[in-house]
Amino acid sequence: MSARVQLASAAGAILSLPARLIEPAMSGIQRGVGIKRMPWVFLLPNLVAVILFALLPVFINVFYSMSGSDRLFPWDRPFVGGANYQSLLDCTNYLDPSTCSRDLFWRALGNTMVFVPVQVICMIAIALLTAICLNRDIVGRGFFRGIFFFPVMLSPVVVALTWQWILQRNGALNGLISAAGLTPVNWLIFPNTAFFWSVFVTVWAHMGFYTIILLAGLQAIPRDVYEAAKMDSASPWRVFTRITLPLLKPVMLVVFILAVIRSVQTFDELYVLTGGGPGSATMLMVQYIYEVGFAAQPRNFGLAAAASLFLGLALLIFTGIQMRISRGGNND
Amino acid sequence: MANLTLQNVKKSFGAVEVIPGVDLEITDGEFVVFVGPSGCGKSTLLRLIAGLEDVSDGDIRIDNASVVDVPAADRGVAMVFQSYALYPHMTVRENLSFGLENIRMDKAEINRRVSDAARLLQIEQLLERRPKQLSGGQRQRVAIGRAITRDPKIFLFDEPLSNLDAELRVLMRVEITKLRERLGNTMIYVTHDQIEAMTMADKIVVLRKGIIEQVGAPLELYNHPRNLFVAGFIGSPRMNFVEGKVSAVAPGQVVFEAPGLPPLTLPGALAQSMEAAPATLGIRPEDFVVSRDAGAGWPVTVGVAEQYGANSYLHCTLAGEVPILVHEAGQSLARRGDVLYLAPRENHWHLFGAGGAAIERQA
Repeated sequence: MSARVQLASAAGAILSLPARLIEPAMSGIQRGVGIKRMPWVFLLPNLVAVILFALLPVFINVFYSMSGSDRLFPWDRPFVGGANYQSLLDCTNYLDPSTCSRDLFWRALGNTMVFVPVQVICMIAIALLTAICLNRDIVGRGFFRGIFFFPVMLSPVVVALTWQWILQRNGALNGLISAAGLTPVNWLIFPNTAFFWSVFVTVWAHMGFYTIILLAGLQAIPRDVYEAAKMDSASPWRVFTRITLPLLKPVMLVVFILAVIRSVQTFDELYVLTGGGPGSATMLMVQYIYEVGFAAQPRNFGLAAAASLFLGLALLIFTGIQMRISRGGNND
Repeated sequence: MANLTLQNVKKSFGAVEVIPGVDLEITDGEFVVFVGPSGCGKSTLLRLIAGLEDVSDGDIRIDNASVVDVPAADRGVAMVFQSYALYPHMTVRENLSFGLENIRMDKAEINRRVSDAARLLQIEQLLERRPKQLSGGQRQRVAIGRAITRDPKIFLFDEPLSNLDAELRVLMRVEITKLRERLGNTMIYVTHDQIEAMTMADKIVVLRKGIIEQVGAPLELYNHPRNLFVAGFIGSPRMNFVEGKVSAVAPGQVVFEAPGLPPLTLPGALAQSMEAAPATLGIRPEDFVVSRDAGAGWPVTVGVAEQYGANSYLHCTLAGEVPILVHEAGQSLARRGDVLYLAPRENHWHLFGAGGAAIERQA
């Protein structure tokens, strides 16, 4: 045998060692469960993880939402049925949070329902614009790609503290405004400006991620399709609306779903930046859940669990609709 | 329909000069094929004409008007891309009409042109389908249809058949030739396949490294290649070459000697001054007289005998391991290891000088 053949057979022996080690065990299991049930054996490790860390918490959450008191352990908690849901939904007029017994829940829900569409639309529009710019042959393209992606790698608390430093009363932005001879604004004190900056900062922090996905989508569009459009007298606007957008649709749907889910989950940046304030102007659902369940005394785990199930259900419905639409899109 | 003139057209990508200067005249209604090995600049030249690339220097004139500053869409040319470049999200009908909608053409006229093109290419039943529901050949037709609806002065084809299988390629070759006869437009066709070039062209332009090696009718290039490159590129299978020297020139005959081989007497006339000059003898596989009699030419040993049924190709070697491919009509009796004797048919040989240029024969 030549040296090469010997080497190859040695490598083969080493590589097949793990297989040979587990082979007796696996064939024992197969004899025990039967070949038809073997797929379940292979799925088991992941199944256990999913059940333990995803499904089980959901069921525990359901139990918590139906139990009362501030006791932590389930066996200490009295069953209260739908009382927590009743409390959340107890309103004289659903359009006026102040008539609800849990008015903060409704304010947070209202804020979320404004924040999510505004933030997602701004984010996708800006990310798309950025991706289109970065897809061109511009000088320093790699550098700009890095710059736009950089905030994604920052911890949300770092993002929030940085922008707080910029936006606070004696912050960097007001320093520039004063230097320009204008009147400084207390950005985070007024509901409208605080809301604006909440959207701005979260877009700034996350858009890089979506820009990269959209950029990959743009680069997947064949160059010669654009050349054909050029030969076909298409104006840049026609190229964008008739070629780029339709061909980017599958990627846009993914980006949209991810952006909405993430937007609904917004918590840490705003908790540090505005604390949900002024008042409750920038308090979103997740912060409400946190406040009720962990910050308030006594801790109302039951109410927090009910609110988070409410949120989970809303996201589930939304994702279902999206998946149906996207499947329809793919059948085109 | 249009004339096209390239005047000293140059193209560089950064420091790389792809086309160092091309002059070419294409007359109205001609079917011109740019052929050459990959990287020879043929596609670049086509893209320069299309307006998809800007020329670095020189002028491109369509009907005597310079178009170098005219956008691609306004040059009156239409291009069929190698990958077809159909719009994947549009139906065939939308693919055909998109370019016309862009110039805000009247709806009725668009419909008329789309159905005319569809009828011409026999894709009427496919109009509501999307490109991914079509076969390669059908996509090819749609791509050609898209060019036809624009009613261009000049059609540009960039290796349009290279993505099709061999059988379909032959079929589409014939279709395009027929189409060309029906439309009568000027057409420029890029390919690396010299069979496509030979069968379709009125005029072949052989390119190498961005330089035109020879321009001419297919058979002119086949019969009178101007240099070794053209001789080797045009004709399939390629021409055999044997290096040696012209040892004697007598009236009506030339004696060629190669190392290790007996002198070969070639009937034909050369200038006396060629005597003793180093030269390369070129003989096409189909231009040999094959004999089993010793002394009837150069001895070769058969290595592989390929039987195609109607034709046979004998892969032989000369002394000194020079490979020689021999074509025999019909089914050859030669077997591996047989020794055959080869001589060129009268006037079916080519001599090339030291620089590769063809040595003119005298009448």
